[in-house]
Amino acid sequence: MYKYSDTDKKIITSRVKQFENQVKRRLEGKLTEEEFKPLRLMNGLYLQLHAYMLRVAIPYGELSSKQLRKIAFIADKYDRGYGHFTTRQNIQFNWPKLLDVPEILRELSSVEMHAIQTSGNCIRNISSDHLAGLTLNEIEDPRPWCEIIRKWSTFHPEFSFLPRKFKIAVIGCTEDRAAMLVHDIGLRIVERKNQVGFEVFVGGGQGRTPIIAKRIRAFLPKKDILNYLEAILTTYNQEGRRDNIYKARIKILVKELGIEKFKSLVEENFSKLSNKELEIDDKNIEEIFGFFRLPPLKSNTNQIPFKKNQEYQNWIKQNVIPHKIQGYSIVQISLKAPKKPPGDATSNQMIALAEISEKFSFSEIRVTHEQNLVLPHVSNKELFNLWNRLKIENLATSNLGLITDTICCPGMDYCALATARSIPISQKISKHFDNYLQQKEIGDLKIKISGCINACGHHHVGNIGILGLDRKGQEFYQITLGGSAKEDATIGEIVGPSFSENNLIEAIEKILNTYKKHKRNKSEDFLTVFRRIGIKEFKKDLYDNFTKKV
Amino acid sequence: MVKKLQGETFLLSANELKSGKVVFFTLKGWSSSSVEAIKIKVDEINKYEEISAKDEKKCIIISPKFVELDEEGNIKTLRDKIRNSGITIKI
Repeated sequence: MYKYSDTDKKIITSRVKQFENQVKRRLEGKLTEEEFKPLRLMNGLYLQLHAYMLRVAIPYGELSSKQLRKIAFIADKYDRGYGHFTTRQNIQFNWPKLLDVPEILRELSSVEMHAIQTSGNCIRNISSDHLAGLTLNEIEDPRPWCEIIRKWSTFHPEFSFLPRKFKIAVIGCTEDRAAMLVHDIGLRIVERKNQVGFEVFVGGGQGRTPIIAKRIRAFLPKKDILNYLEAILTTYNQEGRRDNIYKARIKILVKELGIEKFKSLVEENFSKLSNKELEIDDKNIEEIFGFFRLPPLKSNTNQIPFKKNQEYQNWIKQNVIPHKIQGYSIVQISLKAPKKPPGDATSNQMIALAEISEKFSFSEIRVTHEQNLVLPHVSNKELFNLWNRLKIENLATSNLGLITDTICCPGMDYCALATARSIPISQKISKHFDNYLQQKEIGDLKIKISGCINACGHHHVGNIGILGLDRKGQEFYQITLGGSAKEDATIGEIVGPSFSENNLIEAIEKILNTYKKHKRNKSEDFLTVFRRIGIKEFKKDLYDNFTKKV
Repeated sequence: MVKKLQGETFLLSANELKSGKVVFFTLKGWSSSSVEAIKIKVDEINKYEEISAKDEKKCIIISPKFVELDEEGNIKTLRDKIRNSGITIKI
């Protein structure tokens, strides 16, 4: 795990002091809200429906037990005893007081954490694959590259006031577990002629104009990565629209210019602006990679303990995957327990997890963009003990990748932008499909729910996407089908008129019945069937003879 | 603040600057309970806008807004209902 340098520490502590002073001036009336708002946003502080909300960065989703304990402490002391893990691997506190925020930031800085660039029109937290460094088919661990980009992008003077926010994801293998293709820039580590470099994608995003990123470079040598990013961002800064917030993201610029024209502008800037100081040499790379070495795991023949306990066996089957070092497993912890808001963890759960990670996983925890957690290095022989421990904390729900493992934004329960609630919908789905065997029969299925068109719940790329809408003061839910956030990224298609909250479960049942009817064999999943038969069949079954009026 | 207003009767609401909590304007000043909030007729809006502008300047509140009431005097929109009574889910 990356450890802060003295410079990093200085930056963070001076930022806390700066913000403390800004809050003081605000409370004394020396700064108006208009003047203060951009300053608080630069420190991750929003004003939401009921209260302030503080978004804290978890760079590329990696946490130590010490950091998780600190987050739990903050949740208890300054908030309401819980936190919400987001779809960009961050954590949000929903109830902090403005007065307390400088102190919260000070607490965070003591464990090398902060809230810088978690808001505003700048380069946001770099996100990555939650299995980075853990799988055999990976070309290279993407986390060191995330760190290199994080260092370059933090307080970058030219990119602090971009036309709009800017999100970058980096992955290290063909499988995309980071929704890389719906980011402003997506980087995939690739190998060509024994040389490792990057495949570069640009102009992806969700929101009101969902677009899959286009490939701008098939291969970029490693040493050029920062110069090339600088060229893309410069082009965006120069050409991106600032007159219309809805047309300001880079995806719109790429769409309007066309990828070839955009590419030629980037390449021109790349050749013109390339700066020797931004070229990364092997020594720099090696130094950063040094922070991300695996813990001392010794390959062994330990097997996963067999127990005559169905619940445990389900959990092993659903939530546990092999580590690249034989004898170890990666344990995925679902934050989608029945009746709980997706992505939420209480401070007690966080404290327990910190202790569990110290005992079972070298004090390391990962956050996934699907709002779950990961214990990355667990000895096979400890799995039963670990499961028992997680069960006590209500952290052993066996539903990874199944219908109840929904992604869900905070929706109108918290968010000032939302047009409908999303968490109650997720809870209804969990309640209705709570039986594990029933979920297994449905198979792999990603339901993603957003409470508004801004798509924080990634509904566009859900196999089944649900978008909450306000129709004359009533909550309605529009369904999209066939989306994917993986390497085969696809934007879902709207199936037809929206449904009321009361009709939504029946609609999902009908969609699943169509899937089951056309499924050729046990292993054919929802998305494969959808791609084979198209939306028409689903539409027909869904709207013909709907039992209640839609 | 008045530009998009529809309806006849409103409550004046805001967030407290220091804590961020939702507050309503009552005869005794700002309160976290909407029960005693003053019901404001549409032709009184300007007067209450001045009050909220003053309290914004005094750093008591931020983000003031008028909350529309229905014919029975209840908060009209779901968003404002949630804002008044809190989240609809169990943590």
